[in-house]
Amino acid sequence: MNILVPVKSVVDVELNIRVKDSHIVEDGLNYILSKWDENALEAALQLKEAGGGEVTAVTVGPARSGEALRKAMAMGADKGIHINDPATEGSDSWGYARVLEAVARKGSYDLIITGRQSQDTDMGSTGAFLAALLDLPLVVNVIHMERQSEAGRLEVHRKGDGDTEVIELALPALITANDSLNEPRLASLKGIMAAKKKPLETLTLADLSLDASQVGAQGAAIEIMGFEAPPGRAAGKKFEGEPEEVTAQVVGLLASEAKIFT
Amino acid sequence: MDTISLDSLTALDTLLSDEEKLARDSARRFIREEFLPDIAGHFENATFPTEIIPRLGALGWLGASLEGYGCAGVGSVTYGLVLQELEYGDSGLRSLVSVQGSLAMYAIHRFGSPEQKERWLPPMAAGKAVGCFGLTEPDFGSDPGGMRTTAKSTSGGFILNGNKTWITNAPIADVLVVWAKLDGPGQEHIRGFILERGMEGLGTPPIKNKMSMRASHTGEINLTDCFVPAENILPGSGGLGSPLACLNQARMGIAWGAMGAARACFDAALEYSTSRMQFGMPIAGKQLIQKQLADMAIEITKASLTNLHFSRLKDKGRLSPIQVSMAKKNSVAQALTIARTARSILGANGISLEYAPVRHMLNLESVYTYEGTNEIHELIIGRGLTGVSAF
Repeated sequence: MNILVPVKSVVDVELNIRVKDSHIVEDGLNYILSKWDENALEAALQLKEAGGGEVTAVTVGPARSGEALRKAMAMGADKGIHINDPATEGSDSWGYARVLEAVARKGSYDLIITGRQSQDTDMGSTGAFLAALLDLPLVVNVIHMERQSEAGRLEVHRKGDGDTEVIELALPALITANDSLNEPRLASLKGIMAAKKKPLETLTLADLSLDASQVGAQGAAIEIMGFEAPPGRAAGKKFEGEPEEVTAQVVGLLASEAKIFT
Repeated sequence: MDTISLDSLTALDTLLSDEEKLARDSARRFIREEFLPDIAGHFENATFPTEIIPRLGALGWLGASLEGYGCAGVGSVTYGLVLQELEYGDSGLRSLVSVQGSLAMYAIHRFGSPEQKERWLPPMAAGKAVGCFGLTEPDFGSDPGGMRTTAKSTSGGFILNGNKTWITNAPIADVLVVWAKLDGPGQEHIRGFILERGMEGLGTPPIKNKMSMRASHTGEINLTDCFVPAENILPGSGGLGSPLACLNQARMGIAWGAMGAARACFDAALEYSTSRMQFGMPIAGKQLIQKQLADMAIEITKASLTNLHFSRLKDKGRLSPIQVSMAKKNSVAQALTIARTARSILGANGISLEYAPVRHMLNLESVYTYEGTNEIHELIIGRGLTGVSAF
């Protein structure tokens, strides 16, 4: 099975992110492979290990995004495609989906797996847009995958309200990965060394016959007006007195101020 | 006020390749997610999670810097970064990896026959066979040339007699690289032998009641008329220079590792001091504590840059043993001071295994003494600077 896994290099949210004049301060930021993309990649690698085929990782972004691709290849992806074109800067999910659509059409893939959302914007729509553009069946938020399905079909599970949906997909298809789908593997030293020799193709929009106006800030349907740092936490309230009195006060405030009983 | 992390402060990442950072990140994640949750319990109970050894092999960390035979063949910086993360977990874990890769496997890789390499290195790289390295004896530590362990030629092989002590991994080792004097008293006759678990006359009793390196198996190697087949001598070994070459290999990794322990102590001290309230404010707001934290950050930055510089030289084949001594001595001595300071910043909580500093502090007492004591490294540097041996 040939599988395409779009991956994204995102800001590491473990570190302090600073906002200045409605912009995120780039200085000192660390970039990592978005965690749901690791689940998508792990799922693809498991399918390949069980049934053969090839896993291709693709990313859209500036030179530093190449690090996410190298990690994907160190984990086991067979090759990487890097769409590095300044015109893609400022893309929204639709823009990314347009670029990925062009990449998918250049190859021949039985399955596309994306993360359920990216770790930076939490938008969760690129996978769905991509499925729509390619006219593929779509299952989002997959929590389990059956590896022994007959050729051309794939059984996936997703969590519904209190129960599990079991869906049999006809391939080609697109699924998005929940983080409970699997435990992504660590890149081993041998994997890291082997990744250096794997093919990594760098393409521009022109190579994909795309126009700059279709993607990036120009082609975006959404305009981000600015960023704001979350407000600092207000000081907590301290209650003192006999337990009965304090309990009555707290319950009263939960009802009148926090309105948790309504 | 925006704060700056230790990683941003040292800015080591700006000097690393993507591959080096990836290797570091894998080890960092493994330690935080899979190792740290249980390590205090292992330290307290003097056990080691031996079930993770094959996993260390699968991740490529055993004999990582060696070429071929299932080894990853990475550069010194990658190897150092991995060891640094492992020792952020515990010095016992890093010691196991150093002894396996830089001492036992390196000795076989450098001095072994093609058959010995084929037979032992792949299972050792995979973590299916554990190795140890027997040089130190009860009466010969810093002066290994005086060793009393002997090997006598006999029909089909050698008879070994003697005792080795303070041998990391000995009680659990499948493959034991042992150094002995072959048929004569001089140092030029020191040769390496590969012993295998189960050989008659080979005993590996554990050393008990250690107050340091508790999550590490340390033992003796007792040899009583132990017959070793002729094919188990390391053909390329000869003289004290052979085991010392192995130690030199391991010492750069120890310099990196000690900075992992130091970082763990710094992180604990920073977190504790910014949340511990006394006199109505976090103790991090006190000048005495800030000076301690500043000194820690400075020493970690200096030692990390030295380790990086010397490892780059090592990969170019331009690192001298004196520089290795500088790196080992400095990193470990600074790490020990940092661990003790962190222990003190944590006050009474500092003596609890619930926090990392006291465990690292106790472990580093061993690291300070093993692989060339702090003082021996000073003598090596002193001899290099003055041209006069003070041993």
